[in-house]
Amino acid sequence: MITQTLAMLVDAYRELNAKKLFWITMLLSGLVVAVFALVGIDKQGMTFAWFRLGFVPVNTDIVPRDVFYKAMFTNLGIGIWLTWVAAILALISTAGIFPQLITGGAIETVLSKPIGRVRLFLTKYTMGLLFVTLQVAVFTVASFIVIGIRGKTWEFGLFLAIPIVVVFFSYLFCVCALLGLVTRSTIAALLLTGLFWVTLFVLNAGDAALVQFRESTRMVMEDRQSRIDLAERNTARLLRTEREKEGESVEGYEPTREEMVARNPFLQRLYDGLDEDKDDLRALQKWSTFIYSAKTILPKTGETSALLERNLIDPDEITPPENDEEAADMNPTDDVNVDRDELGKRVQEVFRERSVAWVLGTSLAFEAVVLLLSCAIFARRDF
Amino acid sequence: MPGELAIDLRHVAKTYKGRVHALRGVDMRIHKGEIFGLLGPNGAGKSTLVKILMTVIRPSKCEGTMLGHKVGHKPTLARVGYLPEHHRFPDYLTGAQVVDFYGAMCKVPRRERKAKTGKLLELVGMSEWAKKKLGGYSKGMRQRVGIAQALVNDPELVLLDEPTDGVDPVGRRDIRNILQQMKSDGRTVFLNSHLLSELEMVCDRVAILVQGTVRAQGTIDELTVDKRRYEIELAGLDPKGATERITRVIASLGLGSWDGQEPPAGWKGSSRLASGHAYRVEASTLHVQTAEPSEIQGLIDAFRRESLQIRAIRPFRPSLEDLFMEAVTDPTTGKTLLPGASRDLKGGRR
Repeated sequence: MITQTLAMLVDAYRELNAKKLFWITMLLSGLVVAVFALVGIDKQGMTFAWFRLGFVPVNTDIVPRDVFYKAMFTNLGIGIWLTWVAAILALISTAGIFPQLITGGAIETVLSKPIGRVRLFLTKYTMGLLFVTLQVAVFTVASFIVIGIRGKTWEFGLFLAIPIVVVFFSYLFCVCALLGLVTRSTIAALLLTGLFWVTLFVLNAGDAALVQFRESTRMVMEDRQSRIDLAERNTARLLRTEREKEGESVEGYEPTREEMVARNPFLQRLYDGLDEDKDDLRALQKWSTFIYSAKTILPKTGETSALLERNLIDPDEITPPENDEEAADMNPTDDVNVDRDELGKRVQEVFRERSVAWVLGTSLAFEAVVLLLSCAIFARRDF
Repeated sequence: MPGELAIDLRHVAKTYKGRVHALRGVDMRIHKGEIFGLLGPNGAGKSTLVKILMTVIRPSKCEGTMLGHKVGHKPTLARVGYLPEHHRFPDYLTGAQVVDFYGAMCKVPRRERKAKTGKLLELVGMSEWAKKKLGGYSKGMRQRVGIAQALVNDPELVLLDEPTDGVDPVGRRDIRNILQQMKSDGRTVFLNSHLLSELEMVCDRVAILVQGTVRAQGTIDELTVDKRRYEIELAGLDPKGATERITRVIASLGLGSWDGQEPPAGWKGSSRLASGHAYRVEASTLHVQTAEPSEIQGLIDAFRRESLQIRAIRPFRPSLEDLFMEAVTDPTTGKTLLPGASRDLKGGRR
């Protein structure tokens, strides 16, 4: 058993070695880390190599040096490089594993050996994941050193990036493997996996937008409610005063809503606005629940890659810059103010409340189902 | 070990989607230590049968054993070597790496593989190419490396599907020698080939598979025993009266009759000697249905007594090609059966 697994491991290495793309990706990873190393931050602002980037309004007063580097690693290194560019390159490199395995003339040579089909499939699958593991490991180690030297912090939590990115890639790779088995075509597997990935991305973007709208609507409602409370208090006081002036008793007198609206027509506008907000919230909640349910059965690429940020960066460590006038003007809520920082925190809170068990558990369950299906197809098919 | 079976197949059937019957109940026995040849036209089901043995295809029905274990028993494959038809070994591997990799897949320990790789590549004449990648190999060279990888696990049974495909005449001779070497090493060889002359030269027994059924099976002698004959060609006869003269000489020795029996297959319109053998005269040549030289001595004596000159006496044994052609010919219509697997069409059968 070990002999066969080792042989397949060596073979996978030789195959990767033969593919120039593996080394190109490695080289590009090295370049990305080199760029990280050239970026600096101090009290005056950011620098790149010998140049000061005066136009970037970030300095160590806003973001501590170590947090800056960790954020750069998670947002750019993981968020863009590893989970987008390197993942695409890895998919291109590994999409052919199963179509090539089941090509006529190739499959007979391995199926005729004393190895079970399921084990063969899963071993090949694991070898594909090794590609990404190797890429991420090299990138993370290099980043760890850069952050240690430049950020003056030796953050071992960075190594969480390895399992997180591998798990992230595995969501896509399992789909790619299944499609490769079904279509027998590398190009078809790659394109359809890309389509699947775009679908997940759209779903994630939709989810984020809906959560933001929902939280924004909640804040608008809270603000409107406080205005209503204030207006009701003032109107009631006014009504009592007027009643006293007319010599009527105000003891135990509580003005009705109709009386208050009659005295203060502006209140009706507030009530109407609140009712509209409630309708909006219901609709947003409905769609948000729908998207959330859809996401529950699908792999959560966005949330998975964000797990690293959750673990590495405490949002309180970052001092938000003051809101400028331009930002205030852009506030979409016309008559009701929404604190954008507060909104950002609430949205972040919603996503942080989604448990790691939900993010990883349901995504891995999806992967398990896809792998089971692939194994069943591979084990039962005649070649 | 004579008599022991390396492969014992019964009722092997495979029906693909669309009711394509690749195999329709194949019974086949292959003895240990023999070279067995499976021949048949394209689409007869030869490769399907081999793939069933190697677990590449799942049979619709199969009762049988390979090396004493049920067909499909994976661990048994560690004792079997296999060269598929149209194999595609990875181009990024060298010849030595191919042998080593497939050896490892057969669970051959590393040290043993290392020792065997060089020897096997030498056996197939590929030592000088051992460290070169397959991308630069010709088809014949790939075939040789393929044979080497099939032997790396020191198999008791070797299944070779079209091993001489794309190989030049020198290479074919080398492969024949390797096959003989395998046999003398005590291995059982199952050979799947279109090249009848190749098979005839090396096989102890053959089976002819046509449209998913075994039409004939046995040693070439067994399969040809009824079809062997002697041809006695006479010289100096007037072509017009030759047949009559020869018939007169035969009649002087006494004649038999069919007594309402059908003459043997291939001897339609023939007469019968007193010994019971069929004979036929064509121009100045007498054909006698016998494989025994003693059966024609009386005829030779009679011709000589009549002062007839004998130009040649030839024992005739049909070739494997003759057997093959007979197997693929419909006995009722005399037409060659269509190639390919049989398919149910509107309840009927092609």
